[in-house]
Amino acid sequence: MLESDFQERNRFFLNMGPQHPSTHGVLLIVLEMSGEYVLDPQPVLGFVHRMHEKMAESRPCVGFMPNTARMDYVCALPYNHGYVSLIERKAGIEVPKRAEYIRVITSELNRVASHLLWLGAYLLDLGAFTPILYGFDDREHILDILEDITGSRLTYCYYRFGGVSRDIDDKFVASTRAFIKRLRERFVIYEKLVTKNIIFIKRTENIGVVSPDMALRYGMTGPNLRGSGIAYDVRKNEPYSVYPEFDFEIPVGSQGDCLDRYMVRIREMEQSLRIIEQALDRLPEGPVRAKVPKNIKLSPGDCNFAVEAARGELSYYLVGDGTSTPYRLKVRVPSYSNLSCLPELGRGILLPDLVSILGSFDLVIPEMDR
Amino acid sequence: METISILPPELIRMVIAVIIIISFLFINAIMMGYLERKIAGHVQRRPGPMEVGFHGILQMVVDGVKLLGKELLIPFNVDRTLFRVAPLLSFTPVILPLLVIPFSEKLQARDLSLGLIFIVSMGSVNVMALLVAGWGSNNKYSMFGAMRAVAQSIAFEIPILLSMLAVVLMCNTFSLKEIVGAQQKIWFVFLQPVAFLIYVIAGVAETNRAPFDLPEAESELTAGFHTEYSGMGFSLFFIGEYTNMFIVASVATVLFLGGWHGPNLPYGEYLGIVWFFLKVYFLLFLLIMIRWTYPRVRFDQLLNFAWKYLVPFSLVNILITAVLVKL
Amino acid sequence: MPPTTKIFKEDILFHEFNATETDYNQRGYHLEVALEVNQVRKFAQKAYDHGFYLVFVTGFHVLPEETEEGTTSGLNGVYQFARYDRLYRIKGHVSVPEDMSLPSICDIYQGANWHERETRDLYGVNFDGHPNLKPLLLSDEDQDFHPLLKEEENLKSLKEVSWSAEVPDSAEADEKDASE
Repeated sequence: MLESDFQERNRFFLNMGPQHPSTHGVLLIVLEMSGEYVLDPQPVLGFVHRMHEKMAESRPCVGFMPNTARMDYVCALPYNHGYVSLIERKAGIEVPKRAEYIRVITSELNRVASHLLWLGAYLLDLGAFTPILYGFDDREHILDILEDITGSRLTYCYYRFGGVSRDIDDKFVASTRAFIKRLRERFVIYEKLVTKNIIFIKRTENIGVVSPDMALRYGMTGPNLRGSGIAYDVRKNEPYSVYPEFDFEIPVGSQGDCLDRYMVRIREMEQSLRIIEQALDRLPEGPVRAKVPKNIKLSPGDCNFAVEAARGELSYYLVGDGTSTPYRLKVRVPSYSNLSCLPELGRGILLPDLVSILGSFDLVIPEMDR
Repeated sequence: METISILPPELIRMVIAVIIIISFLFINAIMMGYLERKIAGHVQRRPGPMEVGFHGILQMVVDGVKLLGKELLIPFNVDRTLFRVAPLLSFTPVILPLLVIPFSEKLQARDLSLGLIFIVSMGSVNVMALLVAGWGSNNKYSMFGAMRAVAQSIAFEIPILLSMLAVVLMCNTFSLKEIVGAQQKIWFVFLQPVAFLIYVIAGVAETNRAPFDLPEAESELTAGFHTEYSGMGFSLFFIGEYTNMFIVASVATVLFLGGWHGPNLPYGEYLGIVWFFLKVYFLLFLLIMIRWTYPRVRFDQLLNFAWKYLVPFSLVNILITAVLVKL
Repeated sequence: MPPTTKIFKEDILFHEFNATETDYNQRGYHLEVALEVNQVRKFAQKAYDHGFYLVFVTGFHVLPEETEEGTTSGLNGVYQFARYDRLYRIKGHVSVPEDMSLPSICDIYQGANWHERETRDLYGVNFDGHPNLKPLLLSDEDQDFHPLLKEEENLKSLKEVSWSAEVPDSAEADEKDASE
């Protein structure tokens, strides 16, 4: 009783953000605190809200392509993929096999790049200043590979309705294979210096435990969900593109703490490398773009398409009205649902643990705000 | 000249020593800052500063000039006296321990018979500077950093004292000169490895260096207790921190690594300083490497570590030492 | 891994609602449910009891039309649920009545908290029973401005954006078919 009285008198509010080194983006979390304990964290969004959904309603569907990359700029190709697949499903366009393979290879490369950035940023939040530079070094290789064929380093706009815009060449295949070999050797370094580090384990074990029921109530997806033991991955559960042809596993954790989410993402990177290798081995010949009309008319009715972005399940929901401009486009982003559990998860934890949990959720604020 | 001739030679010697030490402090801060940035760079697979001077040697000089020229921002609604005094409080007391450290057989400003206790007591004044800085900044983040700093410093002073006591038990003296003298045959690090380890770890925690740098934890507290300081105030904090590190490393060298002992050099009584500095900078190199390698511990884990592991181990160490000395 | 939806529908029992099976390859979801306002919470509870997770809650704006009960507001709410263990997506849509309020499903699915706040920001739909209906994406000053509401000239009727309409300006669809 005395202790709660003490807590009552010592409550204060602390603003974490919107400019803060460890909220990855412009996110404000209003913390009601008592000493070092967080009593009630309330995220405040909307600082990067650019109203992409209204933009989709005011231009033809082909004009929305660049917007898809700006929502999640760290892992932009799955966003591209979801949107072009949505329009292809709506308009009934067939995509050539070679284009599908190229889409899978580039999406998985982008997923690896996104996870490498997450790794560096998470460890930077925990106070280790060095792994981010190693991660960025590896990421630079991926960015160079993708720059050769797409022309951009970050906000890719590479896919088109009916395929991809440019074909890949032998240089791409050779450099990707070299990169895969290199990254596998680098994983050994990460394993020894980070994963087996006792300080790191103490900062992440048993912290931020998400139970499967909590994940269901909040609609969490992606590595955050897989860390809690539920093996849900859109690539296996609701296969799209040519994913059924590849042999890969879905890593799951057991407890749902930060360490499990970390391990899931590390192993996911290895699985992505497996997919890329298989795709490179089986790459078929053929055209990379189907013939589509210049002005794609979207038939009336609604349509939904889900892909697995780096952070979870990304769904596009489109209502068409017969013209080439969407009547309504809803983008369901994974980080939105992942973060909404913070008020329940962060009750009564220490401030450094909150930083650790936020890092392990892998949030990108512009995709939340759209 | 007449005024000088009537002053006692001891006073003249002290004044010259203090002047040399203060100028050495700034030079040391420059060298250590450069060393830190270069080592950090190479650990992180990049070259570090390369632009200014040959391989960036003049970088810190240029940075110092820049910091001198910056506007001293005083935030609204702070306690002006406290805010201004805090950097001075952080920088001034660190000069004093250097007066008693024996750099070489004949190079010591003053040999107090209670030299070790003097050093420890001066080290605790640093905590007050952090507290004044955190309170005077009128900023919740700074206050957080200051509170953490106080708890951390108090917790880690005890292992430092206890590990020093182990050495004192073996030499029967607090005077640093005699402790070094007693290491002629064998350095104490071989006789007291546990105490050495505990002293280095607790010393890292006392100086708020990573992995124990919670008071200035960048990613949680946006620079903690020195958030609001800019320009020279900020650099005084950092000169204070680097000097603290130097003191920790020098005391470790004096107590455990044999001070200025080494292979014989001409003018050995004065040039023993070369061996001394080699050992000190080797330890500093280790401390800097540790900073850039490990993540940060959580605060309650830190205090747990101090009270539940370091203190019992150092107590057991003293017990064993006392028993062995008696035999 | 995608199972046959036929086996699944038997143990879900959504047939107390106005549910129609849809072609997954055409639409991306398996079941479409036309809900009344008072059925929303029962629908969400049914989904939660059978292990569905909430994908999103959103809305879209069409022309208000005259029905037996009065004029509708023109807004429609859309709820989508899916499963973790099998492939089955359900979409429920409800026409928002003229008082612009829908029941909130926050106590069943806490994730709906943010989705409903966003829908209120963008469309002005009020959710009864929501614990904290403050602006989420918009600022506090812009609370009363709802960006996604369409202007008069851009509004189309519900039939024109439904699957039953063949092409724009073409023949009518079934009135009874509550699909979109």
